[in-house]
Amino acid sequence: MKGKRLLGMITFCAIFGLIFATTNTLMAQKVPEKIIIGHPEGMSGTYAKAGEQAIGGVRACIKWVNQTYGGVKIGGKKVPLEYKYYDCESKKEGVTSLIERLITVDKVNVVFAPYSSGLTLAGTPVAEKYKMLYMDHGGASDRIFQQGYKYIVQTIGPGTRYHMGTLDMIRKIDPAAKRVAMVYEDDEFSRMVLKGAEDHAKKLGFEIVFNRTYPGKVTDLTPVLSDMKAAKPDIVIGGGHYEDGQLFCRQMGDLDINVKALSLVASATLPAFHNALKSLAEGVMGPSHWEYGVTYSVEGAKKVNLGWIGPSQDEFVKLFKEALGKDVIPDYHAAEAGAQVLAYALAVEKARSIDPTAVRGALGELRFMSFYGAWDVDDTGLQVGHSMVDMQWQGGKRVIIWPPEAATGKLYYPMPTFGDKAKGKMAVPK
Amino acid sequence: MKGKIVKYYPLIPVYIAYLILFLIGINVSGMWQLVAMLAFYCAIGQAFNIFLGMTGYVDFGYVAFMGVGTYGMALSISHLHQVQWLGMGIIIIGLLLALVMASLLSIAVGAVALRLRGAYFAIATIGVNEGFRFLIEGAKIWGGSEGIIFSGQLTQTFGRETASLLSTLWADIFLFFIACIAAFITIYYMRGKIGYALTALREDEDAAKVMGINVTKYKIIAFITSASLAGLVGASAWALKLTYVFPPQVFEIHYTVECIIIVLLGGAGTLLGPVVGGLVYGLTKYWLTVIVPGFQLLIFAPIIIVIIVAFPEGIVGVLKRRFKGTTFKKFII
Repeated sequence: MKGKRLLGMITFCAIFGLIFATTNTLMAQKVPEKIIIGHPEGMSGTYAKAGEQAIGGVRACIKWVNQTYGGVKIGGKKVPLEYKYYDCESKKEGVTSLIERLITVDKVNVVFAPYSSGLTLAGTPVAEKYKMLYMDHGGASDRIFQQGYKYIVQTIGPGTRYHMGTLDMIRKIDPAAKRVAMVYEDDEFSRMVLKGAEDHAKKLGFEIVFNRTYPGKVTDLTPVLSDMKAAKPDIVIGGGHYEDGQLFCRQMGDLDINVKALSLVASATLPAFHNALKSLAEGVMGPSHWEYGVTYSVEGAKKVNLGWIGPSQDEFVKLFKEALGKDVIPDYHAAEAGAQVLAYALAVEKARSIDPTAVRGALGELRFMSFYGAWDVDDTGLQVGHSMVDMQWQGGKRVIIWPPEAATGKLYYPMPTFGDKAKGKMAVPK
Repeated sequence: MKGKIVKYYPLIPVYIAYLILFLIGINVSGMWQLVAMLAFYCAIGQAFNIFLGMTGYVDFGYVAFMGVGTYGMALSISHLHQVQWLGMGIIIIGLLLALVMASLLSIAVGAVALRLRGAYFAIATIGVNEGFRFLIEGAKIWGGSEGIIFSGQLTQTFGRETASLLSTLWADIFLFFIACIAAFITIYYMRGKIGYALTALREDEDAAKVMGINVTKYKIIAFITSASLAGLVGASAWALKLTYVFPPQVFEIHYTVECIIIVLLGGAGTLLGPVVGGLVYGLTKYWLTVIVPGFQLLIFAPIIIVIIVAFPEGIVGVLKRRFKGTTFKKFII
C-alpha cells in the first residue's frame, strides 16, 4: 500500500513538474508584439549635430529591419522594432533620469547610449542597476570597458585604434618612412588616440621623433610646429577638432614643413576642411569610423568569412534622408548608430529572446558585416571587429584609401609639398 | 525657548517638500532618478542662494566649486581604494576633501574678487571655472585632460551591488542631506547677526559700512559657506553618482547660469525660493523633454521669461506678499 502511494506521489510530482516546466518554457518563449529601442540622445546642446545624425541613422535602420527584413525573427514570428527617444540636452543629469524613465515607464528592451564617452559613462550605473543592455554608439574611450561593467557593448571603434590603419598603410607602402611626429590636442579623446597610435607605431618599428600635446581652443600652433620641424619627421599624425585641425595644416604650410604623410583626426574628414584650405588640404588624410563611399558589400563580407545584414550604403543613405526629411549625407555618427540596430536585431535572433542578459551574451558571440563594416566585440564589450577607414583629399574629393576592402581609390604618396600645393597642385594619383 | 523654535518654523515647508520628494522617489517605480535630478537643482539653488540671495552679488564662476568638490571625491576613491581598512571611510574622506578643497578655492577667489563690487565682481569671477580647468589640464594634475574614471575601483572596493547602490541611491540621499543642511544654514544666517549684516550690505553696502558693519567679513562668510556646499553637491551628484570626472564637463558655465535661474525663479534671498525654483525648473524641463523631445528649450525659454516678468521677486516673493498678515506668514520667508 505504502509503495503504491509513493509511486502515485512520484507520478503526480513528475506530471506536475512536466506541466510546470512546459508552461515555464512557453512563457519564456512568449513572443513580444514589438521590441522597443530606447535612446536618450543629445538633440540640443554640445552634441546636437552628432545626436541628430545618430537618431537619423537609428530610424533609417529600424525602417530597413521592419520593412525590408520583415522584422526581427523570434519564436517563429517577425517582430517589429519601435524607437523611443528623448533629448538629454547633452547633459549628464538628463541622461540618468531619462534612462530610468525609458526602462521603467516606456519598458524598452535595450537602451542606446547618448553620443560621447562622458555621457555614455553617466548612464552606465543606472543601466547596470536595472541589468539593462546598454549599447554604445558614440563613446570611443577604451576606459569605459576597463571598469568591469556587464551590460555595455560598443559599436563605435575604440579611441586607441583611430590611427592604427594609417600607420599600417604607410608601413606597407613605404618601409623606409620611419620618423613619426605626434601632435595632438590635450583632451580625453585625443590623448586616447595618441596613446593607441604611440603603442602601435612602436610595435610596427616606427621611431617617434616628436610627441607633444597642445591646449584646446588654441589660436597659434607655430611654436609647437616649429619644434616639430626641427625633429624632421617623415609622417605627422595628430589633431583634435576641426578648428585646430585646419589651423594645424595651414600653419604647417606657413612654416613650409613638408612631410610624406599628414593625417589629422576629426577635422580632415570634414568637407569644411577642404572648403577652408582649398589646395592646401590636398593629400591630407584623416581617419574615420565610416565615410560615404565605402565599398563594404555582401561579396566583401564573404571574402572575410562574415555574414551580411542590412541595407547597402546607397539604401542606407536614402533611408537616412527620408528619416530626417533633409537632403543630408549621413556621417559616421549616423552609420555607427544604424549599425547598432542591426547588431541588436541579429543578437535577439541568435539569443531567441529579448532578455537583456541573453542578448548581451549573444552580442559577445556575434560577428557580421554591414554597410558600416565588420562587427565583433571582446569579453568586456569593446569593439574589436570594426576597422577605421582612412580618407585622403584628392582633387577636392574625399577618397577612401584604406582598408583595401573599403577603399575607393589609391593613396597619393608622398603628399605634395606645401609650396606645390600653394601653386595649385592636386594630389590626384596617375 | 519657544521663540527659538518659532524662528525655525519656515524650515517646515522646505523639509516637507524634501520629504514628499524622497517618499515619491522611494515608493514610485522609476521616479528615483527624476527625484534625484530635482534634488540636485534644489540643492544647488539653496547653496547658491546663500551668496547671491543674501548679498546680491552674482558669482559666475560658481561651478568651479562644484567641479573642485567633484575632484575631491574622485581623488579620495581613486587613491584610497587600496587602503582596505578604510572601507566606507573613503566616501567620508571624499566628502571632507570636497568641502576643504571648495573652501580653500573660495578663500583664494574671495580674497581677490570680494574686494570688487557689482558688475566688476561678476566679471572677476567669470573666468574662475575656465582658469581652474586649464590649470588641471595644463599642469596635468589629477589625471589632466583625461580626467578620472573610478567606477572599476568603486566596484573592486565595495563589490558590484554596494557600488551600484552607492551611485544610484546613496549619492542622491547625500544630496537630500546637503539640501537640508543648506536650508538650515540659510535660516540660521537669516535669523542671526550674519543675516542682518548681509541684508544691510545687500540693500546699501556703503551705508552698512558707515554703520560699522564689517562687510568684507560677512561677504566672505557667505561666499565660503555657499562654495563649501557647492563642493559637497559636486562630490555627491557628479562624482559618487556618475563615477567619473572629465574637466570640461565639471567646469561648464551653464551650471552657474542654471543656479542663477533657479534662485531668481523661486525668489532670491528667500528660504523657500530655491526649492520652488528648483522644482519648477527641473519639472518643467523634464516634462517638456518627454512631451516634445528636441523642442523643449524653445518652449522653456519663453516660459522662464513669462515667470520672471510675472513674478519679479520670484514665486516665493509673491507668495510672501499674498500671505502677509495670515497664519502662513511665519512659514514662508
